[in-house]
Amino acid sequence: MFKTFFLSELKYTLKQPMVYIFIFILALMEFFATVSDNVQVGGAIGNVYRNSPYTITIHVTVFCVFSLLMAVAFFNNAALRDHNNEFNEILFTTPLSKPGYFFGRFLGALVVSTLPLLGVFIGMLLGTYMNSIFGWMDTERFGDFYLETFINNYLLFILPNMFLAGSVIFAMANKWKSTIISFVGGLVIIVAYIVSGSLMSDVDNETIAALSDIFGINTYFLETKYFTPIEKNTISPGFSGLLFKNRLLWTAVGAIILMISYFSFSFKTKNKKVKKQKVKNSDKETVFALPNLNPTFNAATNWIQFKSFFYTNFLSIVKSVTFKILFLFCIIILVVDLSQGFEFMGLQSYPLTYKLIDSIKDNTNLFTIIILIFFSGELIWRDRDSKINEVVDATSHTSFISMAAKALSLVCITSILNLFFILIGIIYQLLNGFTRIELDVYLLDFFYENFALYIVFGGIMIMIQVLSSNKYIGYFISVLVLLVWEIILNILDINSNMLDIGGGSSIFYSDMNGFGPGLKSTLWFNLYWILLSVIGLLIAGALWNRGSKSSLLSRIKTARKEVPKSYRGFIAILSVIWLGVAGFVYYNTQVLNPYRSNDTEEQLMAEFEKKYSKYKEAVHPKVTDAKYYIDIFPNKRDIHVKADIKLTNESNQAIDSLHFFNKEGWDTKLNIPNAKPVYKDSTYLYTIYKLSKPLQPGQSIVMKLDNKFITKGFKNSIGNTMIINNGTFFNNGDILPAMGYNDNYEISDNNTRKKYDLEPKERTPELSSELSELHNRNYINNGESDFINVETIISTVKEQTAIAPGSLIKKWEENGRDYYHYKTDTPSLNFYSFMSADYELKKRKWNGIDIEVYYDEKHPENVDMMLDAVERSLAYYTKNFGPYFHKQCRIIEFPRYASFAQAFPGTMPYSEAIGFIINLEDETENNVVDAVIAHEMAHQWWAHQVIGANMQGSTLMSESFSEYSSLMTMKNMTENPMKMREFIKYDHDRYLRGRSGEREKELPLYKVENQQYIHYGKGSVILYALQDYIGEAKVNLAMKNFLEEYRYKKPPYPTSLDFIRHLEPQVPDSLKYLVTDWFKEITLYDNRLKEANYKKLDNGKYEVTLEIESSKIKSDSLGNETKANINDWIDVGFFMDDDEERLFSQKRIKFNKESTSITMQLDSLPVKAAIDPRHILIDRVYKDNIKSISLEK
Amino acid sequence: MSTLKITNLSKTYPNGVKALDNVNLELENGMFGLLGPNGAGKSSLMRTLATLQEADSGTATLDDIDILNNPAELRKVLGYLPQEFGVYPRITAEQLLTHLAILKGITNAKERKELVNYLLDKVNLYEKRNKSVKGFSGGMKQRVGIAQALIGNPKLIIVDEPTAGLDPGERNRFYNLLADVGKEVIVILSTHIVDDVRELCTKMAIMNLGEIVYHGSPQSAIDDLENKVFRKIVSREDLQNYANDYKVISNKMVGGQPLIHVFSEVHPQNGFEQVAPNLEDVFFSKINTSNVLV
Repeated sequence: MFKTFFLSELKYTLKQPMVYIFIFILALMEFFATVSDNVQVGGAIGNVYRNSPYTITIHVTVFCVFSLLMAVAFFNNAALRDHNNEFNEILFTTPLSKPGYFFGRFLGALVVSTLPLLGVFIGMLLGTYMNSIFGWMDTERFGDFYLETFINNYLLFILPNMFLAGSVIFAMANKWKSTIISFVGGLVIIVAYIVSGSLMSDVDNETIAALSDIFGINTYFLETKYFTPIEKNTISPGFSGLLFKNRLLWTAVGAIILMISYFSFSFKTKNKKVKKQKVKNSDKETVFALPNLNPTFNAATNWIQFKSFFYTNFLSIVKSVTFKILFLFCIIILVVDLSQGFEFMGLQSYPLTYKLIDSIKDNTNLFTIIILIFFSGELIWRDRDSKINEVVDATSHTSFISMAAKALSLVCITSILNLFFILIGIIYQLLNGFTRIELDVYLLDFFYENFALYIVFGGIMIMIQVLSSNKYIGYFISVLVLLVWEIILNILDINSNMLDIGGGSSIFYSDMNGFGPGLKSTLWFNLYWILLSVIGLLIAGALWNRGSKSSLLSRIKTARKEVPKSYRGFIAILSVIWLGVAGFVYYNTQVLNPYRSNDTEEQLMAEFEKKYSKYKEAVHPKVTDAKYYIDIFPNKRDIHVKADIKLTNESNQAIDSLHFFNKEGWDTKLNIPNAKPVYKDSTYLYTIYKLSKPLQPGQSIVMKLDNKFITKGFKNSIGNTMIINNGTFFNNGDILPAMGYNDNYEISDNNTRKKYDLEPKERTPELSSELSELHNRNYINNGESDFINVETIISTVKEQTAIAPGSLIKKWEENGRDYYHYKTDTPSLNFYSFMSADYELKKRKWNGIDIEVYYDEKHPENVDMMLDAVERSLAYYTKNFGPYFHKQCRIIEFPRYASFAQAFPGTMPYSEAIGFIINLEDETENNVVDAVIAHEMAHQWWAHQVIGANMQGSTLMSESFSEYSSLMTMKNMTENPMKMREFIKYDHDRYLRGRSGEREKELPLYKVENQQYIHYGKGSVILYALQDYIGEAKVNLAMKNFLEEYRYKKPPYPTSLDFIRHLEPQVPDSLKYLVTDWFKEITLYDNRLKEANYKKLDNGKYEVTLEIESSKIKSDSLGNETKANINDWIDVGFFMDDDEERLFSQKRIKFNKESTSITMQLDSLPVKAAIDPRHILIDRVYKDNIKSISLEK
Repeated sequence: MSTLKITNLSKTYPNGVKALDNVNLELENGMFGLLGPNGAGKSSLMRTLATLQEADSGTATLDDIDILNNPAELRKVLGYLPQEFGVYPRITAEQLLTHLAILKGITNAKERKELVNYLLDKVNLYEKRNKSVKGFSGGMKQRVGIAQALIGNPKLIIVDEPTAGLDPGERNRFYNLLADVGKEVIVILSTHIVDDVRELCTKMAIMNLGEIVYHGSPQSAIDDLENKVFRKIVSREDLQNYANDYKVISNKMVGGQPLIHVFSEVHPQNGFEQVAPNLEDVFFSKINTSNVLV
């Protein structure tokens, strides 16, 4: 009996598509989580293998929670199917065995509900396998598989969790016999779990926390807290320890719930309250007469038939359970995502409309596509599946009407979903008190992107289903077309969006520049695909299998006979229009704006190196003066540049030829006195000019440059995002041809280099103190120039303001355009930007310096705070490092095509995405917006006044110094030292995360090779700690001395060794080890507070005993770690509150052995104790440094 | 008065089965019975007439409508109830009929509502019009099917084995309904139940192996067999001998013993007694020309 029910349950469910859809969804999500960093499940993967047992387990546990909703469907069905089909009365009167029925059904559902999670394994295996072929990710980030991982995960997480959740749902379904209540129950479990997870994270007792997690996720986290990467890569979760106890505990709870449900289960239905049916007498008496009918078949009939088809199809989707589950799933994912807000480095962005649009797309697009695929099959095969096809087919309607109605109902369902998500977005904005709701942006974005996508996919999916001989073949082909086709294009290295179904250049909304440069292209691509989709639908209408099933061939024959001329004519006309559109798109995206595929690009780079690297050593004159005449035409997106560039031979040999490497997309004309082009390569835009009279050392010539950027038509991709309607932003490097051989154009990845027989390339030249040619080049200009004067006359349309480096000397109007004349006040790095947009301007004066913020009218909120931040930076830096040489400090907003801020001489372009839209209303203290400004302001000293030679360690003196300076401005306005811990936490994280993702080698700080995690992350932490150990004034003095030696100096440029030379005198002998540990070697700490106990003394004081483990780890550049003897000064301190805000009785103590016991007498009893309470040392795991103090037993 | 004319209609399936073998028929208004054993080609013929299947050769016309080449025109005047009539899930009887009425060109909403109500009443489902059709019993579903076949003003109604699964009461009601409409239009009723045809049809055809083996009125078929059918109760062991010696039309068990009917121009004696032929005898004599035991 048990077996019968068990097997029938399995058979029944396995015949339904639902379980396969779920497997597919999870496999797909896991696939992307495996091969892409954009999809993260339960946090970033980090430095373990992407398919490590650890990663798999985390993914499985997280998916377990989300697949509960799927489990609801299975368990609810198992409990209620007979009831809903009103079969129960028949079934339950037969001599059934109750346990057989009850447990048969339950276990059947249990087995089925674990199946979707196998999709995780499938996705992971598939992802790993496919990656080994296509190499989306470095294959070294994948390791071996262990069968044990899969089995143990199934037995430890999937099965027990489904059992527990299933017993609850099954019990609820049996009790209340309502699908809705079951679903709500499932939701409640998920929500309760997520909420309790955040509550439990405060629980100090790890055992209790580990046992109380009903799904064992946090238990697993706890068990693996101290796992090294190697352990994470090899050890699967096992049947021991807390995890196993947790699993036994909750399985037992599940069993108890199931037993209670079993004993209260009865075949008898309770006496329901019978609703009295209203007696409708009127019905009985109605006399029905056959009306006089006038069947009509004309255009109006078509329309009414279309509506009726639409209505029935639409309803059938809305009422389907699969749809409801997918719908709920989307909403949960979206709401969970929104509930986290739009975090940016500990701050929240304003919930701008485009942020919500992005969130909606990221979270729900996968589901709407699945809905499209699934229901295209359902709708097409619905008549046949319901066995009503012959009746419907024999009625007088055009097949196309029916096809179109199906397509439209798909489009409508997905559109309504999308509009619903938009509504959620708007509600979210309002709940957050944000009232700048841009309904037009929501709707236009929907219209431009998703709506078009739905039409295209809807039409194409329907055509596929019509042409397929059964539903599942149709699904198979649909998935092939959507996913596999993409992969094939990838392999063939075809990038044209004309072949990528539904493809087009993307639109990217920015408050400054609207939908941006991709809009035109997007609209044309939409037209191209929608026409194709309609043609597909028309063909589907013609080939619709009306009547008995017949082969495609015979359907084509039938169509030839039956399809009316007008219909064929319509297809023909549409096809002609489509061909026209296709031609136009082709002309624009391939002829007017050709592009290279990745492979071609790579090949070209390799050839370039082989062909021209012989000129690597050619000596060039330096740019010593520049004058620009720039005309910006934002509406046409054109730029005309004329420039007079003074070239001076600063070498000690005569130069007889000049090498140029022109910029792609620019029409460049060079006019060099006494020079003739002798070589021109139109592929690489490499030209060589021969000087009739060699340029002698010390001699100069003025080169005239005429450079035009003309935007033509539209591109395959989004196109140029520098030269745009509002917010044009480019720098001198974008417009000037590069001088000589440019090794930036070489392939940098050594594996790729091997493919083309190129020697491995060093990331950065090695640090050396011996002066060489390398010291003559700073790492930004690489020898092309040093510090120069720049003068610019720049014009733009009247609505906009154009900005160039230096002081504005004059502004005038000419030919309806505004002209500006700028000139630098002091020689600066040959590295500056030109911008033009419709700006608001707010300014203030500080000690004769103009502080200006140029911003978009939509973003006035933070401008005053930005001015304050600039002022604070100027104050601190001028006081501690020396004068500021420019007469202005400009912050200039630019659209969010990039999200950075950058320091140019006296100006700071600042992306709208990172500063202007952050909500600072409740921020009383300093924050990351200030920090970014302070960092970029610091670059005016660190990079623009002194800059390192082009070799290892140079970014220490620009990026690390700036980050440190920025921290100092904050430190000086922060009263509570604990506040700083929050700031440097980001730097700690950045470093630790970065080093685990290092692909070549980690280097000590003084040899950093432009590695961001080192120069930003580690550099700031080290310098911050250093000032804590030797004093802020000492560090600043070392930096100032270094600056003064090299400020605005001609080459040779300094190196990190020069800084250390200035630093060492400032460090007391007792702390000299810090310079070695922190700058010259890679050192990590592993501090732990094992025990913290107190007892009350008779004198009213408290004696606190701390058991501390402390070790120091040295790492080589490959990450091999060895323990070093500890002999270090480390802080020990206490907190008077749970939130660790009130630091109390901090002491710096010398540790010289691994285990130390410290006893202290304190006047009052603190709540927590900590080693390194302010987190200034780089600790592998910081969380274990702090512990609540408990009474000594 | 409409005329349905079928000329030389043939259809061979890809697997070689001859579903229709040179079928010729001419029908006028009234109930037309199409008898035949399972697999005789009845459904193929019906589906071909209902524009749901192609024929290999031949023609079929309803008045001046060329059914095979202009199916769209025929569909405007067609009522069709297939052998297997299923329904959509999650839709009520009224919604389903309304949808089908629209597909059949009843575009006037008021007319449509009256029509649907009228039909629902006719098939005794008016009370249940707001119930999901999926939950209906087989008989109730079949009644919905009949209702939809009557929508519009069909000139040709094709019903394929309509009474399977109906209880006797429902069956009667169904036939009354058909008889009502059958006076003014052509109704083709395919069945393998002989009684249905006898009770309802003025004209009939018997199909076997894709061919029309008889075409005429039921009565004249019976008349043809007058004085030529004899019966006898035989023992099981002798059954095979009788089959060899006589043209056995049929045998069925009566009280545990085989009762055989044989066809003979003269009285076969030997314990046979003459019986008045019925349509069943006609049916079996027409399809059982090879004289094997059936």
